[in-house]
Amino acid sequence: MNLKDPESMNVVIGKVLRYGVLLSGAIVVLGTVILVVSNGASETAGFLTYNAGAVPHDGIDVSLAGLLRGLAAFSAFSWIELGVIVLIATPVSRVLISIFLFAAEKDRIYVLITAVVLALLLFSIFVTPSIPGFQA
Amino acid sequence: MFIVEFVLLMFFVSIFAGIFGSIVGLGGGIVVIPVLTILLGVDIHFAIGASIVAIIGTSSGAASTYVKDKVTNLRVGMFLELASASGAIIGAAVAAYTESAALEAIFGTILLISLVPMVIKIGEDIPKSPELRGLSRRLSLKGSYTETDGRVIDYNSTRPVEGLAGTVVAGVLSGLLGIGGGAFKVLSMDLAMKLPMKVSTTTSNFMIGVTAAASAGIYFARGDVDPLIAAPVALGILIGAAVGARILLRSRNTTVRKAFAVLLAIAAAEMILSAAGVLP
Repeated sequence: MNLKDPESMNVVIGKVLRYGVLLSGAIVVLGTVILVVSNGASETAGFLTYNAGAVPHDGIDVSLAGLLRGLAAFSAFSWIELGVIVLIATPVSRVLISIFLFAAEKDRIYVLITAVVLALLLFSIFVTPSIPGFQA
Repeated sequence: MFIVEFVLLMFFVSIFAGIFGSIVGLGGGIVVIPVLTILLGVDIHFAIGASIVAIIGTSSGAASTYVKDKVTNLRVGMFLELASASGAIIGAAVAAYTESAALEAIFGTILLISLVPMVIKIGEDIPKSPELRGLSRRLSLKGSYTETDGRVIDYNSTRPVEGLAGTVVAGVLSGLLGIGGGAFKVLSMDLAMKLPMKVSTTTSNFMIGVTAAASAGIYFARGDVDPLIAAPVALGILIGAAVGARILLRSRNTTVRKAFAVLLAIAAAEMILSAAGVLP
């Protein structure tokens, strides 16, 4: 594929999105199968209680260490969480790859625009949750 | 309710949400949220967390088809993402100091008012293409796509600054409430930038995933994304979005506009009723 050809941008971006979605979907399917097999006949009532400021479920925490432990133990919720993380990462990857695609087209303005979008996005995802006063 | 029933119910609801969300560029949250809160009595925080998952899923699931078929305008999308990503950060920063009922009342009313130009343009197929000049020209905010009947539609856009301003509002709304961004994006591209309707909804669809991803960090860190809800929503939405994308490519601009107007009215009503305390 010739990346200088403007047509290729649509093809590459389309593929990034498609593979991201398929990977995420496959992981969530795995988590859902574990969930239904292990807990399908349980009542939802015990699971859908919202505790502000606390993790939603027993045994689930949103930290990286907690997620890795859950994955190793084949915890349904951890696998679903991983699938959701891949889903969130999909549009972010699309923005990242677009920077290179615009660079291949030698479109400097859009390299700059897309790089700024990526910076804003990463700031918003990783930095804002830990700034006190951001979000009640 | 048993977990297996809950999972199946949300799976089918989300297929439906994905179909509509991907066609009108709003992302499916406006279907998922009321089903969770009103029908199933789930806490609004979990519903918004699920809506974030629904929006990202609709966006990426349908965009892979739209981008390949070149209906989405990538440059318009990237340019406006500057505004929506900034808006999302502003929204997150001011959320602690604002009253969400007041915001919903204001934004719901704006959406309701914007129904008027939508309805006036209800029969419009392709807008008269404006002359490409100034910033729009420098940023090559123009494009071309093939219609269902084989016509190749070449179009230009206009008023990029107004488009940016409308999209900042969309981003702020997403950052504040986790919902509602798509409507302002479509309105900005349709009413200000004069893009063909299908270009507006599919480009909005392309962008809402990035805007929702920007807000996802906060919701995820707070534990608002409940895996039990996220799983059936993600799977249903991805299937629905794939179906919706195929439907849109075969639909006329006038049909898409009508569908958008109906869902815009529903979104406005949801916001106003929520502000009034009738809905959670």
